[in-house]
Amino acid sequence: MTTSLFPHDARIGTRPAALTLLKPSFDDLVRAHAGALYRFAYWLARDRQLAEDIVQEALLRGWKALPRLREARAAKSWLFSIVRNEHRRLIVKNGPQHDSIDADTLEIADERPGPFRLEMRDAIMALPVTYAEPLALQVLGGFSCAEIAVMLETSEGAVMTRLTRARQALKRLITPAGAKEQEGGRK
Amino acid sequence: MNCLDYRRARSTGQEETGAMRVHRLGCVLCSDQFREQAAFDDALRRGFEVPVPAEFAGRLLDSLHARDTEAPAWNAGRRRFLAAAAVGAGAVGLGAGLTAWLGRDDPMAMACIQFVMKDEAKSIMMGAMPRDKARAALAASLPLERLDRIGKVMHVGPCPFQGGTAYHVVLMVPQDKVTLLIMPDTRPPVRARARFDGMYASVVPLKKGSVGIVGGSAAVVESVAGALRA
Repeated sequence: MTTSLFPHDARIGTRPAALTLLKPSFDDLVRAHAGALYRFAYWLARDRQLAEDIVQEALLRGWKALPRLREARAAKSWLFSIVRNEHRRLIVKNGPQHDSIDADTLEIADERPGPFRLEMRDAIMALPVTYAEPLALQVLGGFSCAEIAVMLETSEGAVMTRLTRARQALKRLITPAGAKEQEGGRK
Repeated sequence: MNCLDYRRARSTGQEETGAMRVHRLGCVLCSDQFREQAAFDDALRRGFEVPVPAEFAGRLLDSLHARDTEAPAWNAGRRRFLAAAAVGAGAVGLGAGLTAWLGRDDPMAMACIQFVMKDEAKSIMMGAMPRDKARAALAASLPLERLDRIGKVMHVGPCPFQGGTAYHVVLMVPQDKVTLLIMPDTRPPVRARARFDGMYASVVPLKKGSVGIVGGSAAVVESVAGALRA
């Protein structure tokens, strides 16, 4: 079954068939974004099973709320927002799975000085969710700072600050201690 | 654009714009920075690449379509729930309306409050009745002795009220001062209440006529009403 993006129109039958073909169907959207949505949910929940559940529930909500979606080009950010909201709903229901930190008032505490070097994935895992969330939206969703600001209901400046801090923190975490010293020596 | 602007823009991971590209091509340091940043971005993308479960999109779609076909049964349940909720809401609304109607401000009680606010001082200035006359006037509806048992009678005087004659009594009880308007010729079928501007009034039916009690608090007024009925 291929589901039109605008099922209410299709049901009524007022939209020309040619237009229907121009619009992506909900099934197409799911196929196109399921991977990115799963990864985004994973980095929010940090759990594979939970990520699957979040995406499944989010898409069900998305399917039911589809008539309210006005612009087909906003579908991707809309789906990411629904996944984010579903994750928040889960937190409210089950309690937070990780610490929530106000990124605008706190510096990243996890600087981990030492001879070891973290892999990028572990470093991302070490990020507080307030930093990981906008970074995931940028890397996985390809969204601009302005789009992320709308999705996170914050200002573009706050998003830019979080992204910069997140990247700085990741660089610190993945750079070996020796390289850090060399970097310091060069300066 | 200078090096600072370029690096600030790149630090957030944004794509390079045309102006940024022009600057970078003419700047060795920013070209180095661009290469480092590109390598970092690649590593970042790989770091975020979590393996997606096999056939994930297909399973999602199967699940969505399965739920979609279950929808009629779910909708029927939902309709029943909504119908029950509507009936419940109607009953609650009816109860709330009835409560509001029963608890509405009564015009007679409201008139008693207005008397205290506008005419009480004037009534007192008109002079009090001699005690013997007051006893005789109130005997049929509310004997003066009963008032004496509740508090200290400060003033009794006749006054025009609601198209008839009422007896204005100022009574000092232990908690506060209350005003009574004894109406020998008016008797409401049920007790009536009103609240306005920090004052509370209760009109209590008597064997003959009624008495309006006005005070600053409902507790005091109700305690006086209870004592008068006893």
